[in-house]
Amino acid sequence: MKDFMGFTRRNILIYFKDILAVFFSLLTSIIVFVLYLLFLKGTFVDALTGTMKGLENIVSSQDIEMFVNGILLSGILGSSMITVPYTCLQTIVKDREAGVDIDICSTPLKRWKIVLSYFTASSLCAFIMTSLILTVGLITLGFMGDLHMTAGSVLASYGAVLLGSLSSTALFMMILLLFKSSSTSTAFFGILTAASGFVIGAYIPLSRFSDGVQSFCNLFPASHITALIRNLLLSGISDKIDSSIGGLDNGAFISAVKETFSFNAVAFGKTFSSSGSVIYVLIIALVSILAMTYLYKKTYMRR
Amino acid sequence: MNIIEVRNLTKDYKGKRAVDSISFDVEEGELFAFLGENGAGKSTTINMLCTVLAKTTGSAFIAGKELGKEDDEIRKAIGIVFQNSVLDRKLSVKENLLTRGSYYGLSAREVKERIEPFKERFELDEIWNRRYEKLSGGQRRRVDIVRALINDPKILFLDEPTTGLDPKSRRLVWDHIDYLRREHGMTIFLTTHYMEETRDSDHVVILDKGNIIAKGTPAELKSRYAHSKLVWYTAQSPDSENLISRISNEFAYDADHYNIVTDDDLTEFIYQNKKHIRDYELIKGSMDDVFLTLTGKEFA
Ligand SMILES: Nc1ncnc2c1ncn2[C@@H]1O[C@H](COP(=O)(O)OP(=O)(O)O)[C@@H](O)[C@H]1O
Ligand SMILES: [Mg+2]
Repeated sequence: MKDFMGFTRRNILIYFKDILAVFFSLLTSIIVFVLYLLFLKGTFVDALTGTMKGLENIVSSQDIEMFVNGILLSGILGSSMITVPYTCLQTIVKDREAGVDIDICSTPLKRWKIVLSYFTASSLCAFIMTSLILTVGLITLGFMGDLHMTAGSVLASYGAVLLGSLSSTALFMMILLLFKSSSTSTAFFGILTAASGFVIGAYIPLSRFSDGVQSFCNLFPASHITALIRNLLLSGISDKIDSSIGGLDNGAFISAVKETFSFNAVAFGKTFSSSGSVIYVLIIALVSILAMTYLYKKTYMRR
Repeated sequence: MNIIEVRNLTKDYKGKRAVDSISFDVEEGELFAFLGENGAGKSTTINMLCTVLAKTTGSAFIAGKELGKEDDEIRKAIGIVFQNSVLDRKLSVKENLLTRGSYYGLSAREVKERIEPFKERFELDEIWNRRYEKLSGGQRRRVDIVRALINDPKILFLDEPTTGLDPKSRRLVWDHIDYLRREHGMTIFLTTHYMEETRDSDHVVILDKGNIIAKGTPAELKSRYAHSKLVWYTAQSPDSENLISRISNEFAYDADHYNIVTDDDLTEFIYQNKKHIRDYELIKGSMDDVFLTLTGKEFA
């Protein structure tokens, strides 16, 4: 066990000691945040007021503001769930390139432990970073107003980022097996940095895209998790808004808003419930872990 | 006693043979040198013996354990200094050594105990908390060697430990190797492409294109494959050549001197002919000559 812990600790240190890597792993989240300050917030608010149709005087602008702030937090979390584990897992490619894998395999550390340790370290780094963002986000939002979250949904949000960290890591472990050099894996990271914000709907809600694009984006577990997080963060404030309308519209406003902001993942003509998304993510994670175990057994350090 | 026994060890990389059925023994406590040019198959051999590269065919026993069957036992008995640095650049010397120790199941305290005897010798205190990437080439090599000693190995493998170092650092690495043999009775298996570095080893194996082309002690190899040379600075003349023919018929004139190849002891001859042979050099056969004789190639 000491060997596994030691190697896992090393993999975590490698990520956190490289300040530049930490920065780049959060770049998409930073971009989402900056764009939000610049203009995304305005478009989100416009989208909301556009669906109001006569309720403008009933729904408080404070609640609307808190609602879009929550959307922002979900976007930041969703994109870091993709970019942080990927950055950590690049250690596998770099280790192979530098011959560090040979050094590790020259010790009695078992190969399955090596693979499991890369997985654990990256999941942990991702969970540390996303739960840090979540905590800071919730505290900041707490100072700005009231999200009306229950203790249960706060706790469940941490569960959701944990699930997101695990599933993204499992998926990326297979993808990184394809890259023989760190230059290709870095190039792919560039694509991820650019695309991840779109895939999880941080810039433009996924509902605005065609069915085909939505289906593609929702192949990724991170998109499902982001939708799930929106529910967890925002169902309190949604209920608050709904009750302030007092049944005048039979809940039509809030359900329209939830559809606009993709509270539920839509793929292949099917709308996922929250539990449906969790099951989908669990299946993807499980399949990835099994495939990863098999693929690494076949290929890792077989020369 | 043989601590390493290798029989018909072969490695194919996708159809290309890198090591071709080599056999040799290494005695416990000796300094064993594996010599060859770049691409000869040195790293391939060392990596197979260190269990990180699967052999194609053949067998090997290392510290009494069979390669391919008892790899974990072998791993516990060996330490390796790889050709390229394999420590983490962003981590400090301390963090690097403690994590490496943990792979052998050692706690931080145990690692510190293990390296205590080497701390002063390898001047670890001054660089203990420094990042590996901030160290000089010589300092890095020192840490690489300590990393290989962390599990108290019986055999230390070093793959081109001096390549790329400046002469002073190279000298120091050799001092360290001598020290480990002398004070700790360690068996040292090293590869090099510097001919002269094999001078002090107990046995040398010369590898060329995956094949062993010679093995023996440096003295044996020199007496078999290298010749002493007399360089005689004089004008070319039939008289001189007459004199030379009494000791060797292998000679040539070059600019202002004769190169005369012979293995005989020439001291007496030169003394007797000191009237003629005034300006001369006696050059002993070197390991470079051994390689030249064996491969017909000048060593790079
Ligand atoms: N992973 C590999 N795949 C294919 N060929 C390789 C690989 N590693 C080494 N070789 C080839 O095997 C031969 C021996 O290489 P190596 O053992 O590294 O030599 P040395 O260490 O003596 O310089 C070389 O021709 C080299 O190109
Ligand atoms: Mg080599």
